[in-house]
Amino acid sequence: MSGNGSTLGNLLEVSGLNVAYGESKVLFDVGITVKPGQVVACVGRNGAGKSTLLKTIAGFIKPSSGTVTANGTNLVGLTAYVVAGMGIKYIPQDKKVFSDLTVQENLELGSYASKDYGWDKVYDYFPKLKTLLDRKAGYLSGGERQMLMVGRAILGHPKLLLVDEPTEGLAPSIVSHLKEVFGELKKKTALVIVEQNLPMICAIADKIYAVSEGHIMAEITDRDQIKPEVCEKYL
Amino acid sequence: MSLVRWWSGLVLAFALLAVLRIYLPLPFAIEVIIFSIYTLGCSFLLGRVGFISFGQPAYLAIGAYATAFYLFYFGNNPYIGILIGIAAGIVGSLLVGPLLVRLRGDYFALVNLALAVIIYYLMQKVLADITHGDNGLWYLTNMSSTPVLDLTRPDQFFIFAFIVAFAIWVFFKYLDDSIYGACCLAVKVNEDKLRFLGYDNFKVRLTAFVIANTTTALAGALYAVYLGFVSPEITSPARAADPVVVTILGGAGTLYGPIVGAIVYTGMKDVVSKVIGNWELIVGFTLVFIMLAGEKGIWGSLEPRLNRLMDRMTGKRSDEVGQ
Repeated sequence: MSGNGSTLGNLLEVSGLNVAYGESKVLFDVGITVKPGQVVACVGRNGAGKSTLLKTIAGFIKPSSGTVTANGTNLVGLTAYVVAGMGIKYIPQDKKVFSDLTVQENLELGSYASKDYGWDKVYDYFPKLKTLLDRKAGYLSGGERQMLMVGRAILGHPKLLLVDEPTEGLAPSIVSHLKEVFGELKKKTALVIVEQNLPMICAIADKIYAVSEGHIMAEITDRDQIKPEVCEKYL
Repeated sequence: MSLVRWWSGLVLAFALLAVLRIYLPLPFAIEVIIFSIYTLGCSFLLGRVGFISFGQPAYLAIGAYATAFYLFYFGNNPYIGILIGIAAGIVGSLLVGPLLVRLRGDYFALVNLALAVIIYYLMQKVLADITHGDNGLWYLTNMSSTPVLDLTRPDQFFIFAFIVAFAIWVFFKYLDDSIYGACCLAVKVNEDKLRFLGYDNFKVRLTAFVIANTTTALAGALYAVYLGFVSPEITSPARAADPVVVTILGGAGTLYGPIVGAIVYTGMKDVVSKVIGNWELIVGFTLVFIMLAGEKGIWGSLEPRLNRLMDRMTGKRSDEVGQ
C-alpha cells in the first residue's frame, strides 16, 4: 500500500481500499490522494485494477473495505448518481454515448443534471461539437464521441474528473488535442486519468501511480521521474 | 423545432382519424381510439424505456374496475368514474412500481404477467362477492346523462374519447421532446452512463412506469364507461400479449405507432374474422413479416420515408447519415 500522505488539502483520499468481484479480489489495500488542480495518472497493464479503482471512486462498485473520502465526505455506500451530483464525474472507457440522441440532447442531459447550460466552455475546448449539434451521437467518430463525453462531463464545473483510457483507439491528432484539453482543464478541476499512452500522460501528470495486479506498486511525484521510460518499468 | 411543425403531425394524424370516422362504423372507431390509448402506455414502456410488459391487462383492469365499482355501487356520473379510474391507475402503479422497476428484461415481463393473472383471479374468484365473478358488473342503465358531452350516448362518447386521445398524444409528444424523454431513451440504451451524469435511474424508470400504466388505466376507465359493463375477461391472461402485439405492429416507441397498430389489429379482428375463423393466424404471419423486415413496425418503417418526403417538399436537407 502507498499513497497515504497528509490529509490536509486533499480533494480525494482513497485509503485501504479492497474490492472484489464475487470471490475474485481485484484491489488490495489501495490508497491514493489527489489535490485540487492535480492531474493524477494510474498506469499499469490491462487487468491491473485501474478501471475498477475509478468505478469504485465513482460509486459504481461497492468496496469490501476501505474509505473513499472527497472533501471530508465518505463516498463509500453512496450511489453513482449521488457521487456525480457532488461534482465527481466519471468518463468511462467504452466511448459509448447515447446513440439515439443528438449531440445537443446528449449535452442537454449533462446540463439538466448539473444545472449548467454554459455550453460556450464546451465549444471552447471542442469547437467541432458546435457543428455537430443535430447529428445523432451514434453516427459520431470515436474522437467526436470522446469530445462529447468530456464536454458533457465538464458541464457543472466538476471538482474531479475520473477519466478512463481517454485516448484508446484514437488518431494521434485527437490524442494531441485531448492532451491540450486536459492540460487546460487542470487549471479548473482535478483529474484522475487511467491511461496506457505513457508519453501523453507523462506530459500532463503531476503524480503517477503504477498499478499492478491490484496493488499500488509505486507513487511517482518527482517531476523529473515522470517519464515514459520510468513508468515502463512498472508495466 | 417550429411551433407549426410541432403541431402539424398531431393535427394531421387526428384529422385523418376523424375522417376515418366518416367511413367506419362508430363501434370500430371507438374501439380504435381506446385501444390506441391502451397500447400507447405499452409502446412508451417498450420503445422508450426498454420494458416489455405482458401485464398491461392488469393496469387496464385496475382502471376499469375502479370506474365500475364507482358506477355500480356509489354514483352515476361517468366523468367522476373516469377520474376515479385514473386515480386508481396512479395509486396501483405507485404501489407495485417501486418493486417492479428494479427488474429487467424477461423478469419484468413475467412478473407483470403474473400480476395480470393475480388480478384476473382476484376479480373472478377471490372478490366475486363484490365483482360478481364471471357475470361481471352491469351498470349501463345506472349511468346518468352528463352535460356538454353525454357519455351515455356512443356518438358523444366518441367525441369525448377523441378529445382525450388528442390530449394524451400532445402530452406524450411533449414528453418525447423533453429532457425527461431523452432520459428515458438514455436509461434504455445505457443506464450506467446516465447514472454517471448524476441521474437517479430508479426515479426515471418509476416515473415512466406510472405514466405508462396510468395511461393504460385511463383506457380501462374509458372501456368501463363505453361498455357499461366490466368482467374479469378484461384482464384475461389469454389477451396479455395484445398490447405488445399492437405495439410491435405499429412500431414500438413511435408516437403514432399505437394508432396505426390499433387500426390494423382491430381491422383484422373485425374484417378478417368474418372471412377467416382463425384471424389470429393472419396477425401472427404479419408479425413474423414485420420482424423479418426490420422490427420497426408499420409506422416505424413509414415514418422516415414520410419525413424525407416532407423535407423534400419543404426544401429542407437532412444531414444525418442514414436518416
